[in-house]
Amino acid sequence: MKLLVNNVEYNLQVEGDTPLLWVLRDQLNLTGTKYGCGIGQCGACTVHLEGEAVRSCSVPVQAVVGKRITTIEGLAENGASHPVQQAWVDLDVPQCGYCQSGQIMAAAALLRESPKPKQEEIAKKMTNLCRCGAYVRIHQAVALAAARGEAHE
Amino acid sequence: MSKPVELSRRSFIQGSLAGLTLAFALPMKARGALLFANQKATMLNAFLNIAPDGRITYFSPFIEMGQGTYTSLPMIIAEELDADLAMFEVEQAPLGDDYKLAFGGTMRITGGSTAVRSSYDIMRQVGASVRELMLQAAANYWKVPAARLITELGFVVDAQSGERIGYGMLAPLAAQGKLPSQPKLKNPADFRYIGKPVKRTDSFAKSHGQAKFGIDISVPGMVYATVKKNPVFGKGVRSFNPEYVMNMPGVLGVEPIPGGVAVIADSFWHAKKGLDQLEVEFETSESELVSSESISKDMRTKLDVPGVEAENRGDVVKAFKEATQKLEAVYEVPFLAHVTMEPMNCTAWVTKDKCELWAPNQGVDTFAQVAAQITGLPLEKILVHTPYLGGGFGRRSFPDYAVQAVLLSKQLSRPVKLVWTREEDISQDFYRPMTLAKHQAAFNSEGALTAWQSTLVGDGPWGRLFGLGPNEADRSVIEGATHQPYAVENRRVEWLGHQHPVPVGWWRSVGHSYNGFITESFVDEMADTAGVEPVAFRRMLLVNAPRFLKVLETAIQMADYQPGLLGGNAPYAMGFAMHESFGSIVAQVAKVTLESGQPRVLKVWCVVDCGMMVNPNTIEAQMQSGISTGLSQALFEELVISEGRVQQSNFHDYPILPPHLMPEVAVSIIESGAPMGGIGEPGTPPIAAAVANALFKLSGVRVRRLPMKHYNFEYRMS
Repeated sequence: MKLLVNNVEYNLQVEGDTPLLWVLRDQLNLTGTKYGCGIGQCGACTVHLEGEAVRSCSVPVQAVVGKRITTIEGLAENGASHPVQQAWVDLDVPQCGYCQSGQIMAAAALLRESPKPKQEEIAKKMTNLCRCGAYVRIHQAVALAAARGEAHE
Repeated sequence: MSKPVELSRRSFIQGSLAGLTLAFALPMKARGALLFANQKATMLNAFLNIAPDGRITYFSPFIEMGQGTYTSLPMIIAEELDADLAMFEVEQAPLGDDYKLAFGGTMRITGGSTAVRSSYDIMRQVGASVRELMLQAAANYWKVPAARLITELGFVVDAQSGERIGYGMLAPLAAQGKLPSQPKLKNPADFRYIGKPVKRTDSFAKSHGQAKFGIDISVPGMVYATVKKNPVFGKGVRSFNPEYVMNMPGVLGVEPIPGGVAVIADSFWHAKKGLDQLEVEFETSESELVSSESISKDMRTKLDVPGVEAENRGDVVKAFKEATQKLEAVYEVPFLAHVTMEPMNCTAWVTKDKCELWAPNQGVDTFAQVAAQITGLPLEKILVHTPYLGGGFGRRSFPDYAVQAVLLSKQLSRPVKLVWTREEDISQDFYRPMTLAKHQAAFNSEGALTAWQSTLVGDGPWGRLFGLGPNEADRSVIEGATHQPYAVENRRVEWLGHQHPVPVGWWRSVGHSYNGFITESFVDEMADTAGVEPVAFRRMLLVNAPRFLKVLETAIQMADYQPGLLGGNAPYAMGFAMHESFGSIVAQVAKVTLESGQPRVLKVWCVVDCGMMVNPNTIEAQMQSGISTGLSQALFEELVISEGRVQQSNFHDYPILPPHLMPEVAVSIIESGAPMGGIGEPGTPPIAAAVANALFKLSGVRVRRLPMKHYNFEYRMS
């Protein structure tokens, strides 16, 4: 089975019903994407599928063959920081940090679709859970990245 | 306000740790790669080594689980060492008595909001003494009097000649000097880092998927395991049939563990699939099939039984006899799960002469000890790596998951990476205990409060873990009910334990997590009975507590607090609560409205007096975080036991606060000069009461049971 992850093509031996999350983590060693619930509830496993945010714990790998997959490790082009990541660092968003890859992937997808979201839209569309409750700064960082206006590239 | 610390008390091992340093080089680095890994760094004492390029490694006795210690502790050292914080990397310290700093220097745990406050004085002296070593080394090297030398962010400078030399170059020389036991500390007025908002050292790694958590560990030759214990607490496995599962793809084995089974496979997914298909017959015992309902009912019968005295002042009995008015209220809070975002996990590698663990933990000594017990190896042969924790909140002080990993690795003679499913994580936790409380108040003919009695019922983690002496109340249950700042002549607190098979543990702010809610709700109830506005009532009772009064007034002013129902056609109300825990006083004002019969918290104003502060940046974050946890338990969280087992399994039926319900938070920090207080937990206790007190104004309904989702609130008729 061929997978395209972060612009790299992988040839894998894997059962088709394996969730994308575990292929990324255990086979490709891309551990930035996290396991939190396994049932698409928490969003810690959020990656981009053709630029859209999906919860990779609930996506069987056979459904994404030939599609463009982006993980936190491949979000920034040329190894630099994506504007959302920059906003996250600038506002010191992470606490324990475990959910933050998923939060950032969700935010990046949101800003691509809606570059200037209003506060209500941010609150409505950022649905990933954070047990540390870093939500205040998460929302501020999405707004900051939007205000800087580079995140939709 | 730092008190002198006897440094000779600690061995401050010089030079001799160089070998250990390499052995403990964890796979996690605060930032980027260690550039000069091949060059030898010099160990200057138990906490610091400095590489030739000036990079400083700080061996932290405390772990990083989000609270920001990997920033605040190096800040304190950098301040006194006069070094650039950007040059610091943090690694977990090895085992050893030098690192037992918490609880009066007796334990090495990260809990009880102790990391910064228990090590502040020591870390200042560590930094200052190494700085003096550097000055002396440079004086010897240049053969000039030390008096004319100064330090400048990682360099010693000769004020006369202008010559400079880096700490990294001086380190080998400095290591030969004798550590001064009473180094000169900086004048706080000259602080560069302490008290200033400093950026976290781990934000970059955590925003780029580079931070390594326990669940990310990979060891050559490892196999994966996932487990299921009998969901009925304390019961074991009758039988299991591995036949079908052994033929499933990737499955390598099925192993018994205490109270459960493990499936071993070549990936987590294969292990989980195997476990899902495994036929297991668990032991049952009808007589022990308790439920939250049955436990609550049994505990309720104890509310009128005389309990163990936890606090007693004046004569409560007499005051109640003479009272012209009395108030009584019974409160109840449920069991709660921790649900750290990173499920429990541990990687273990047991060989015949060594045991290596990669274990997210809040108390490395406990984890090493259980590994030593299981393997029969001496402690020196146990190596525990502590990566970043994907949340702790008290859960990771219990080593149950490490026990399983060590047992499996020992059985299989290979490295085992054990990862729990979320379902296992919720069903095998050490829960915030269900607790009941009866509060009674007596008033005289003038309506003044004359007596306050509180009876708490429930087992807490302290008594369960450490045992209790005769007539000893469980401190983890009564904390936050005793030592109220309010001036009431007659005051009594009693406690009664209640045995049940549900495991209980430390949950962010422990007893304060419910006593903050209960006592501060009851204070509003007492105010109502006395016919006094709740904040004015507190002012009257805080006559002997100026520190509390200042926190109260600051919050009132900051929030522009208004009593009563506000907002006209879009009604809202402001609720107030304040609570002291872990040495810090926190007041919160919650602006609350109703939405579909439930509270909607719009904004929280939060004032914390932590005595003195190290990093206001992370203090602000911890107040926001504490409020989110407190609000989560106020609104939603409830772990229900039925038929001896937990009924919830994942975030769909154990909801935590979702992002859209997080209120705006404004934080103000007071440095009163009192001894430094904790920060990780004190933000949690007051918020549920602040919300409940606002809800009473909005609806006339007094919340006496959490979570609030059980209520349907309607605006009261005005």
